[in-house]
Amino acid sequence: MKSRLRHFAGLVLVAATAAGCGATSDQASRIALAALATPPQHLKPKPPTPATTCTASLRPPATMPTPGKMPARSFMAQIHRRGYLRAGVNAGALDFGYYNPSTGKIEGFEIDLVNEIAKAIFGTAKGHVQPVALTVGQREPFVRQGKVDIVVDTVTMTCARSKEVDFSTVYYDAKQRVLVPANSPAKSIGDLAGKRVCATAGSTPVYVMQHLPHPPDVVGAPQAIDCLVYLQQGKIDGISTDSSILLGFNQQDPNTKLVGPPFADVPYGMEISKTHRDFVRFVNGVLAELERNGTWQQLQAEWLGQFHQLQAPPKPKYDG
Amino acid sequence: MWLDEDLTLEGLGTGVAPARTRRQRGVRVGAAPAWVRARLATTPGRLVLVSILIIVGAVCFGAIATGAEQSRERAAKAARSQTEPLLVHAKDLYTSLSDANATVATGLLSGGVETAANRNRYLADLRIATNALSALASESGTSAAAPVALNTIADQLPLYSGLVETARANNRQGFPIGAAYLRRAVQLSKTSMLPAADRIYSTEAQRLQEDYHTGSATATLVTFAVASAVALILLVLAQWYVTRISRRILNVGMLVATVALASVAVWGVVGLIGEQNALSRAQQHGSDPVEVLSATTVLLSRAQGDLSLALVNRGTDETDQLDFTAVERVLPPLTGEMSALARRTGTTAAANRFDSDYASYQAQTKRIQELQNKGELQPALQLEQPTANISDRLSSDLDGQIQAAQGRFKSAAADATSALGGLAFAIPVITVLAAVAALLGLRQRINEYR
Repeated sequence: MKSRLRHFAGLVLVAATAAGCGATSDQASRIALAALATPPQHLKPKPPTPATTCTASLRPPATMPTPGKMPARSFMAQIHRRGYLRAGVNAGALDFGYYNPSTGKIEGFEIDLVNEIAKAIFGTAKGHVQPVALTVGQREPFVRQGKVDIVVDTVTMTCARSKEVDFSTVYYDAKQRVLVPANSPAKSIGDLAGKRVCATAGSTPVYVMQHLPHPPDVVGAPQAIDCLVYLQQGKIDGISTDSSILLGFNQQDPNTKLVGPPFADVPYGMEISKTHRDFVRFVNGVLAELERNGTWQQLQAEWLGQFHQLQAPPKPKYDG
Repeated sequence: MWLDEDLTLEGLGTGVAPARTRRQRGVRVGAAPAWVRARLATTPGRLVLVSILIIVGAVCFGAIATGAEQSRERAAKAARSQTEPLLVHAKDLYTSLSDANATVATGLLSGGVETAANRNRYLADLRIATNALSALASESGTSAAAPVALNTIADQLPLYSGLVETARANNRQGFPIGAAYLRRAVQLSKTSMLPAADRIYSTEAQRLQEDYHTGSATATLVTFAVASAVALILLVLAQWYVTRISRRILNVGMLVATVALASVAVWGVVGLIGEQNALSRAQQHGSDPVEVLSATTVLLSRAQGDLSLALVNRGTDETDQLDFTAVERVLPPLTGEMSALARRTGTTAAANRFDSDYASYQAQTKRIQELQNKGELQPALQLEQPTANISDRLSSDLDGQIQAAQGRFKSAAADATSALGGLAFAIPVITVLAAVAALLGLRQRINEYR
């Protein structure tokens, strides 16, 4: 009886020892699976901003300073000392501000306007511009924090934004229009009531469309260009946003057409910090001069002439 | 069971559950109480009873021992030739889908003309993915989640490659919609195909873990050892009993039976311990590193894809940077586990090379992110190709390590199955032989009374 117990205990001991040295554990597997389970990250879309625009800006100085000789203690003098102008721009809007993969440079109508401002400060733009490609969410914070001197990035001059930053005078008058497939029977936004029309989620065009008398079924996309993908995939009936952007889309897909009259103003202004009012006046002076000497018209023809409807330079509105 | 009421009464005392004993006796007594009692009163009758019990006992031991051995052997064989190879296919599917995203994004960044190497890598990714998909599909049906997930990927892979080609065609013309198509492709991959690949992969990983658990279960070893011990003890007791009632010292047949039983018991215990040690080696030196290295490969290509996409989007979208940060956060525990496993497997040289490459990768990505956060797109773009090169080096490094770990798995898993080699056959055969020898020995005694 006793020896049997001892025998049994011995065997169990042997088994337990053997099990101990040959044990398996799923620790490594668990660590690997847990790391792999990291879900893809998403940004939440913001609510759309109201569409009311505030287009008045500060009057230019009576006489513009000579390039290279900025008034002492002015913000332009600071930029001059630094040696380059930091400009927040768009890198994804064809013809306005767009990173061209074949040249490896950001180029467009807005980039050339920035170059003209640099030219007015330094005498030449060459080597004096640092383009900063910004996301929509970065624009106002970067201006306020002084990370960029100016933002020229297809920014609509909404009153909400003008509480945060100062705007230059209007440098381009875009209009909200609608783009449909070439075979669409729709002749204006009114024909698209109840139909699926796409715009950037949280953007002003969404707000405008939602407040039409016969609103379409608005589809939000992460970016305006995603709307064109949806359109090509037949998921939507139209796209409504700034005409400048829509013309860029039309250029990328000739099987689309812009229809109907503009139904909202989309004035573009340059964003400058409220602490640099002298710079706002200076920039407005540069813009007025560009429009006066025909440079603005020339740049418009160069960048926007082929596909966009040419317009007269926007009339500046001053309020102080 | 080997036990019986007579042995219980005379030799073992408390060895048997009373209820079962009573029921057994009830049946037998009810059937022919007088006959049985009369037979049991005689020595030959008792010897016949012992013979019957030896047959019953042999059948019971044979069944239990073979069952224990079979459960181990099945699991070890499944791990070696079924679940682990499937895990490798699932890993190939997962890593190639993830790598495709990163490769395409890098290709689009290089401007209108993509390099041949990049294009070939993308095509190789698709080929690996489809091969893995068909290998997995032919073996699916063993788990509930896998067929659905496999269908998801099979359905969406053509859509994905369609989006990628549209992205390429548009990008060649310098159209920004190229980047948008790429985003849709990557989004499809990330929200649907990669989660499906993850489900398949984790299903296979869990099945492999189950095989490891079954293949190294202590309970199996204990069952085998206890069954062997009980069988041996009872055989010895039977001999003692036979010796007592027949007044003969030695019974050759029963002695042979005892030796045979003891040898198969020792063989079995040694085999099971050897098998479980080899299986544990297969896991710790083989599939553990394979799993951790594969997860690192997947996450690194996800990070690289995020980085390239953020640049493709020219700073117009922050989602990819967010995802990049999330991935970077989960990588340290993984690389920590990698170093621990490298120390265990003695591959610290490869691990150190990885660590230093990873450190330079991190430094490089940090610079790109800083530049991007400042909106300095062009300098950031110039850093992208060198960073992609480091990422390539990292993934081929990881691939080499995975191959090595896979080799270690194969040899250890082969050891595990060969440790049990012959046992499945030996246990029943030797048990039968032992029983026959014991019965012959007993018949010799019974015949002495005729």
